[in-house]
Amino acid sequence: MSKSRKSLLAAAAASLLALPAHAQGDPDNGAQVFKKCLACHAVGENAKHKVGPHLNDLFGRTAGGLGDYKYSNAMHEAGENGLVWEDETLHDYLADPRGAVKGTKMAFAGLKKEDELRDVVAYLRTFSSEDAAATGASPVSGQEPEPTPQSDAPDVAATEPAAAQAVAAAGGTATEPGVGLAYGLGRRATEDEVAAWDIDVRPDGMGLPDGSGTVGEGDMLFQEQCASCHGVFGEGAGRWPVLAGGQGTLTDERPEKTIGSFWPYLSTVFDYIRRAMPFGNAHSLTDDEVYALTAYLLYMNDVVADEEFELSKENFSEIELPNAANFIDDDRDSEPHYAAKADPCMRDCKDTPAEIVMRARILDVTPGSVDDDGAGAGAVD
Amino acid sequence: MGKGNGIDRRRLLTAGLAAGGAALAPRAVAGEGDPAILEVQDWTRYLGDGVQARPYGVPSEFEAHVVRRDVEWLTAATESSVNFTPIHELDGIITPNGLCFERHHAGIAEIDPADHRLMINGLVDQPLVFTMEDLKRLPRENRVYFLECAANSGMEWRGSQLNGAQYTHGMVHCVMYTGVPLRTILGEAGIKASGKWVLAEGADASVMTRSIPIEKAVDDCLVAFMMNGEALRPEQGYPLRLVVPGWEGNMWVKWLRRIEVGDLPWHQREETSKYTDLLPNGKARRFTWVMDVKSVITSPSPQMPISHGPGPLVISGLAWSGNGRITRVDVSLDGGRNWRRARIDGPSLPKALHRFYLDIDWDGRDLLLQSRAIDEDGFVQPSKEELRAVRGENSIYHNNGIQTWHVKPDGSSENVEVS
Ligand code: HEC
Ligand code: HEC
Repeated sequence: MSKSRKSLLAAAAASLLALPAHAQGDPDNGAQVFKKCLACHAVGENAKHKVGPHLNDLFGRTAGGLGDYKYSNAMHEAGENGLVWEDETLHDYLADPRGAVKGTKMAFAGLKKEDELRDVVAYLRTFSSEDAAATGASPVSGQEPEPTPQSDAPDVAATEPAAAQAVAAAGGTATEPGVGLAYGLGRRATEDEVAAWDIDVRPDGMGLPDGSGTVGEGDMLFQEQCASCHGVFGEGAGRWPVLAGGQGTLTDERPEKTIGSFWPYLSTVFDYIRRAMPFGNAHSLTDDEVYALTAYLLYMNDVVADEEFELSKENFSEIELPNAANFIDDDRDSEPHYAAKADPCMRDCKDTPAEIVMRARILDVTPGSVDDDGAGAGAVD
Repeated sequence: MGKGNGIDRRRLLTAGLAAGGAALAPRAVAGEGDPAILEVQDWTRYLGDGVQARPYGVPSEFEAHVVRRDVEWLTAATESSVNFTPIHELDGIITPNGLCFERHHAGIAEIDPADHRLMINGLVDQPLVFTMEDLKRLPRENRVYFLECAANSGMEWRGSQLNGAQYTHGMVHCVMYTGVPLRTILGEAGIKASGKWVLAEGADASVMTRSIPIEKAVDDCLVAFMMNGEALRPEQGYPLRLVVPGWEGNMWVKWLRRIEVGDLPWHQREETSKYTDLLPNGKARRFTWVMDVKSVITSPSPQMPISHGPGPLVISGLAWSGNGRITRVDVSLDGGRNWRRARIDGPSLPKALHRFYLDIDWDGRDLLLQSRAIDEDGFVQPSKEELRAVRGENSIYHNNGIQTWHVKPDGSSENVEVS
C-alpha cells in the first residue's frame, strides 16, 4: 500500500502546489478518523468483509459492487442508478449515509466535520489502485482531480491497523503488549478465561455444557436450596418469585407469569439458574445440579409428566415450552395514538369539563401515608 | 429544622452574658420588622467550619429530606429492588449523582477497579481482555443522556396508586457520561461479518445480561466510567457501565465485564420473563427497547404542595424521549380540555431530560394539571386511556401515559385520573 501511495504522491505533486491547504485531505489524520469505521469495515492487505464490505479498491467502484457481499436493496439500486465511489460521492455518503442512500443498512450516523470527511476519503484512496483512484477523482463533476496526500505526510503504514499491532508487539517492553486492531490496546483472552465467563446458553442449545440430572435429584436440591424462597412446589413464599403454575392465566385480570405459563425458552431457565441462583450464593451449583433443577421445574410446570425424567445436553433442545409461540416483535409504532403523528388538539378537546374518575387515596399505598398497609399492587420487573 | 439553631443561639447568648456582660451581647436593632433581619444571626456573627471540614461536600442539613426513597411492599428483598429519584425536588436537567434512582438484582457490587476486566469475545477476530487502565487510553466522549427504567410508572397501569412524582415517575435520571464508544472497543477485537448481536454482561451476583442488536451497539453506545465528571457511583456500576442511549434502563448493564458478539439474540431472563409486555390477547411484545416520549409535572405535585397561595406560580416539569429531542411540551390546567405551550428552558439534547415551565397567575381554584410532550420524530405522548385501549393493564412496562395532578385550593395535590 505504501508503494501505491508513493506513486500517487508523485503523480499528484504538481496539482498539490496549486491548491489551498484546507482543500486537501490528510490520509494520516484519515487513519485516525477511520477508527470510527473499524468496527464494521476492514481495509488494507487481506481485508475481509465484516458488518460492512471491505473498502479496498473503492475508488471507481460502483456502489454495492462487490459480488460476495450482501448489500441492502437500496445500495444495489443506487449502484444501478449510476452511483460510483469517488471523492464527492463518498463525501456525501459519509456525511449523511441515510440521506445520501435512502435505506442503506449502514448504521452509522455520519461524519459531521468537513476535515474528517476529507481526511478519511484521502485515507481510503491510498487503498485504491492508481487507475481506479484516477478515475475516482471526480470525473462525474468534471472537476480537476482532487488533491492527494500531502507530500510531507509520514508513511501511512505506520498507522495502519496491522502495523499498529506489529509495532505494539515488537516494541513490547511492557509485560503484556496490546493487540487491539486500531489502538494496540487490550490483550488476547485465553481460552480458559473465555470459558470461565462465557456461560450463556441460547435457545438453539449453543453454550450448553455436558451433563444431566433427573427430576428426583432436582426435587431434593430444590427443597434444600430454593424452597425457602420459591416454595416447595415453586409457588413462591411471600413476595419471592413464583416459578410454577399459572397456565392459562395470561388473559386474566391478574395473570401469573411463570416458566410454564409464560417463558418462551427452556435455555433461559438453565442459563439463569446457573448465572444467578440461588440468590446470595450464585455460581455454587454444578452443571449436573442445574440440569436436575431445570428438570424439576419442568416437572412442576407439567411440561414433563414422568417423575423419572432425566434432562441432559442431548435431549435439551427437544423440549419446547408451551408459550413459545406467543411472543411478537415491537409494534408500538402502529398503535393508533402513535401512527397518526397528528398535531394534537389545543382548544375544547373534550365536550364536557374533565371529571375526576379515580384518586390515589382510594388505594393509597404511598410510603409514609396514613393507610399504607402494604397492600399495593404492581411489580417493578 | 430552624429550631435547633435557635436553642444553640440562646445557649451561646447566655454564655456570653455570663462571661462579659452587655458588651458581648449581639447587636439587635429594636423596632418593627422581620427578626431574620433585625436580629444578628449566628451565622453572621460566628465563624463557620473551615476548609476540609467536609472533604467530600454534602448537601445542607436543611435538604435532608431530598433523598431517594423506596416502596417497601414492592419487592421481597432490598438487594433485588428499586428506589426512586426525588424528581419533585430537583430542577434543571442534570440529576445529582447521589440522587440517581437505583435498581439492583443482587445488591451493589463493590469492585476495586484494579480487579475489574472487560472481555470481548464471540464472533470477533480476536477475543480481548481490557483493564480499566487500557480503557482509559482510548479516545473518550462526553454525552448527556436520560436513563429510564422500563417499569417507570408501571404501578399506575390499573389506575392512580402512588401519591408523588417521585414514586410515579422517579425511575429516571439524567447525567453526563464520560466513556469510550463501544464501537471503538469492538473495533479493537474486530467484528466478524456474521456478528449481528452483542450480549452485555455485568460482574455483580446477578451477572446481568441483555442482547443488543449490533446496529445499536456500534451507533451510540458508550462504555462509561464517569458520571457528571466523577467516577461512577458504586450503585451505578462502578467502575464501568454500558450506556444505551434512549433505550430501557435494564440494558445499561452495570459493572460491565463482558461483551460477546453473536449471530442471534440470547433470550436471556431479562428479555423473556421480564421486559416483555403482555397484551390483553395473551401475546407479549418482546425487544421493546426504545423509551417512549413522556413528561410529568414535578411541581406542584403531591410531595410539592403550593405553600404560597394564589398569585404567581411556577409550574415545572420534565420531558424526554428515547427517539431524540423534545420539540414541544403542552400543559393543561383543566384536565386536558384546553392546552397551552410550555417553555422549554436549558439545553435541549437528544435522549436527555428536558426542563419545561409554565408560569401562571393562579386564581386559587382547583387545577387538573397535565403535561404532554412531543418529540422530534413527531410522536405525541398518549393518554392513559389510549394506552390501556391497546395494551390493557398488564403490560407493566412502557407506561408513558399523561399524568394528572389534582391541585386543590389549599395548595395540596393528589394523583388522579380524569374522564
Ligand atoms: C455500524 C457499522 C458501520 C460503520 C460504523 C460504518 N459502516 Fe460503512 N457500511 C456498513 C454497511 C453494513 C454497509 C453496506 C451498506 C448497504 O448495503 O446499504 C456499508 C457501506 C459502506 C460503503 C459502500 C461500500 C460499497 O462497496 O458500496 C462505504 C464507502 C462505507 N461504508 C464507508 C464507511 C466509512 C468510511 C465509515 C467510517 C467513517 C463507515 N463506513 C462506517 C457498515 C458500517
Ligand atoms: C433467598 C431467596 C432465594 C433463593 C434461596 C433462591 N432464589 Fe431464585 N430468585 C430469588 C429472587 C429475589 C429472584 C429475582 C431476582 C431478580 O430480581 O433479578 C429469583 C429468581 C429466580 C428465577 C427467575 C424467576 C422469574 O420469574 O424470572 C428462577 C428460575 C429461580 N429464581 C430459581 C431458583 C432456584 C432453582 C433456586 C435454588 C437453587 C433459587 N432460585 C433459590 C430468590 C431466591
